[in-house]
Amino acid sequence: MFVRRYLIPRLLQYFLVIFLGITIVFFIPRFAPTNPVQRTIAELRSRGTYLNPADVEKMVEDLTRLYGLEGSWFEQYIDFWKRLFSGDFGISFFQFPVPVIDLIKNALPWTVGLLFVTTVLSWIIGNIIGGIAGYYNNKRWSRIMDGIVMFIRPIPYYIFALGLLILLAYVYRLFPIAGGHSLGRKPSFTISYILDVLRHAFLPALSLVILGAASWFQTSKLIVQNVNAEDFVQYAQLGGIKERKIMFKYVIRNAMLPQVTNLALSLGQILSGALITEIVFSYPGLGNLLFSAITTGDYNLIMGITALSILAITSLVLIIDLLYPLFDPRIKYK
Amino acid sequence: MKKLLRVWVVSALVLMLVALPAFAQAVDGLPREQTLIAGMLTGRVGTPGNFNAWVGWKWNDRGMQNLANEPLWTVDFATGKIINSLAAGDPIYNEDFTKVTIPLREGVTWSDGVPFTADDVVFTVETLIKYPGFNDHSSFATEVEKVYKNNDYEVEFILKRPNSRFHTKFLDRWGCTWIMPKHIFEKVEDPLTFEFDPFVGCGPYKLHSYDPNGYWTIWEKREDWHNTATGMLFGEPAPKYVVFQTYSDEGAKIIAQLTHQLDVVDLSAEGFVAALEQGGTIRAYQPNYPWVVNNDPCITGLVFNTAIEPFNNREVRWALLLAIDIVEYLAQAVDGQATLSPVHVPALGAYPEYYIEPMQEWLKEFTLDLGNGEVFHPYDPDVALRIAEYAKSRGYEVTDDPEELKRTFGIGWYKYAPDVAAKLLEKNGFTRDKNGKWLLPDGTPWVIKVLDINDTSHHQFKNGNAAVQQWKKFGIDVEYIASDAYSTLQSEGNFQVGAVWPAPEPWGAGVDLYRTLDQFNSEYMKPLGVLNQAHVSRWSSPEMDDVIRRLKATDPTDTEATVAIGMEGLKLLIEEMPSIPTYGYAGFLTWDEYYWTNWPGSENPYIAPYSHWGTFKYMLPFLEPTGNK
Repeated sequence: MFVRRYLIPRLLQYFLVIFLGITIVFFIPRFAPTNPVQRTIAELRSRGTYLNPADVEKMVEDLTRLYGLEGSWFEQYIDFWKRLFSGDFGISFFQFPVPVIDLIKNALPWTVGLLFVTTVLSWIIGNIIGGIAGYYNNKRWSRIMDGIVMFIRPIPYYIFALGLLILLAYVYRLFPIAGGHSLGRKPSFTISYILDVLRHAFLPALSLVILGAASWFQTSKLIVQNVNAEDFVQYAQLGGIKERKIMFKYVIRNAMLPQVTNLALSLGQILSGALITEIVFSYPGLGNLLFSAITTGDYNLIMGITALSILAITSLVLIIDLLYPLFDPRIKYK
Repeated sequence: MKKLLRVWVVSALVLMLVALPAFAQAVDGLPREQTLIAGMLTGRVGTPGNFNAWVGWKWNDRGMQNLANEPLWTVDFATGKIINSLAAGDPIYNEDFTKVTIPLREGVTWSDGVPFTADDVVFTVETLIKYPGFNDHSSFATEVEKVYKNNDYEVEFILKRPNSRFHTKFLDRWGCTWIMPKHIFEKVEDPLTFEFDPFVGCGPYKLHSYDPNGYWTIWEKREDWHNTATGMLFGEPAPKYVVFQTYSDEGAKIIAQLTHQLDVVDLSAEGFVAALEQGGTIRAYQPNYPWVVNNDPCITGLVFNTAIEPFNNREVRWALLLAIDIVEYLAQAVDGQATLSPVHVPALGAYPEYYIEPMQEWLKEFTLDLGNGEVFHPYDPDVALRIAEYAKSRGYEVTDDPEELKRTFGIGWYKYAPDVAAKLLEKNGFTRDKNGKWLLPDGTPWVIKVLDINDTSHHQFKNGNAAVQQWKKFGIDVEYIASDAYSTLQSEGNFQVGAVWPAPEPWGAGVDLYRTLDQFNSEYMKPLGVLNQAHVSRWSSPEMDDVIRRLKATDPTDTEATVAIGMEGLKLLIEEMPSIPTYGYAGFLTWDEYYWTNWPGSENPYIAPYSHWGTFKYMLPFLEPTGNK
């Protein structure tokens, strides 16, 4: 019953969303006015290379062929799906002739390492503190917490991150200014290298956790306040159930349901990278890679990163949908 | 509460454990006092493990062109000289420019110890011709009939068609065709996908290591540095290690320099002021206002799309120029810190002496016909004095010596004459509405669309914004469009006015303007909507074609003939004004003198000052360590 009435339609929907998402991602960059061949030539020219206009026209032909941009969009689209099924996103135009998959492989661990940890950490911190603060809404400390978060939350991320950098890398010089690891350090599985990476990740992570937790705090607090006003909570209180049990089992557990969905969406978005974080802290990752791909019209790279992102978001939402009965016993797939 | 306290104590300990090693050293394992750290102009390297610069764009300023490679010749715009790098002298052409002989420097070795010879040059050209994927494939395939060596240190090219500038393919002015090490590339199955890691070059440094994420590359001085052109010409480079590092954020760059972790870097105008205001050991190219590097060979400005109305009308173009108050314009763009040029080459190096000064009388006599027998002399030879007044009003100290002022702010530009601009427009049917706004000849409101680069720190952006203000003040509605797709849009002719270089920059050394003028050749022009690889103004004329043809048939080492024809081309550009030259590129370069001194500042410009140009390797023998550790 579950398989026929829920799982199969849900899986069909899942594949349809992926198909449509990737199709849209294929066509949108092609509607943009940036021509990747022209962009490459403009880059070579702007860097001072003298290219005779007559030679450039021949070069345009060569690059169009090498980039696989010959033929109609439909032919390119079919070719794209053929390659995608074998896990090949093609070569990067701007970082020619490096395969897109190599660029993603290089950037992915940094993005996932930083954003997975900070997303989960800020979710846990924000929800727990926000939940407790929401339950004890009338306490003085709860209002103070609320005030602090109200102050931090509206600060633009760039300003906040730059402020941390100035404070902890310039004024106090506790942390490095930039990079994923020290200059001259070669990646290795050693304690000193791991500590080096952690040292470099600390400031970017701190900036993301503080602002992320502040955001989760506010939503969690509001939801808990609403749940707190529900009849079943008041009934439990009148029934003499322990306050701790009411808070965690009755209120926060109920309040967590929408937050779990939001967590899944946030985790899915990890693969889009954290552009501003990567810029402020010169931190490696997918954000910068995607940004430069968009500005240079690097279709293959755009498609590679966004296809993975679409896959991640839709898969996580699917998983959460299937696991929802575990969080909410009221939901049953029959 | 106790639990909370415990959590904080543990967190603080973890933080200290993670943070403390940051004090230890800026560069892992390298002695800082023997290491020079330079910022990278072109940003994070997208292909960190690929040094094959003959295919695509490979972030050559990560040390490949400026440290570890030697070209045949190098432009030094600071001295105006062309340096014989791997070449032993000038190219020798036959009478009809179909054959060129290049003598090569003897005693040079690649960084792996193999001697550099004519075989490498011949192999490079033959390989480039053989594979269409190389950047320079078309360039050589269409021009070279045959290449061979006369002996180990002399190479000869037979050309398919006459070309008196063929050798400039090997002339490094921020890039050129590099020579491949034959002993490496001849063993490679596919030279297009070959990553060329580790890099092998003829320059005085060899690859030490690089960041797989593209943020830094480290180079180490070769023990046999004396076997390089740099060593033979200038001596031993001072730093043992040179690091090229990228910071994605301007704030981080400034912090790095203030904490002595970055010795030389290019900043934005705003970052430049912020860094200099901190004082300390940071200095600029000029010790006093206007501080900036003002001898860069690029000329900035504005370009009209002359293929569309009303910009196909030279009088409209001139009217828009005369509606610009260049002092206000320069103030808004760069706070007056740049050198103006009235012609389509910058006022630096040989160009003032050979072109701008000799053209003064012609410029003063040049007139615009306003109709009804009225003419106007637009040239203003005293604009530098007006800029000096502006600088004084801002509290900057400037000299009162008119000659010095002209060297600083420019020999001349054009008058601010909105009344004359109005007459020119009215002569061509333009009118004004009751609010003073300009209307097109058909009576509809005139809205100029300015297409610009989407980069606030770029001089194109500064020019575009300054022009918008000036034309709005004159009563024209202006729409400003900053786009990442600007280069494609301009090449397709999908713009009205672009804030892009008004003409390709000249070589930066010597008197030859072929590189600048050839882009206006009608042979290359395409119809609107088709990608145009010539100048984006799409302007050309039979007279300019004739100039280009004659210049191409002139030996570039014949200074008198080259200058005479080049000047004709500049005059045509002024008369027609398809693009407006404004000011020479101002470089917001800062040096930190904490570890290294004797930088080539304006008081001692022994070589071009930038770390991203090929001349950087020639600067290094002159740098002096301070002894700070």
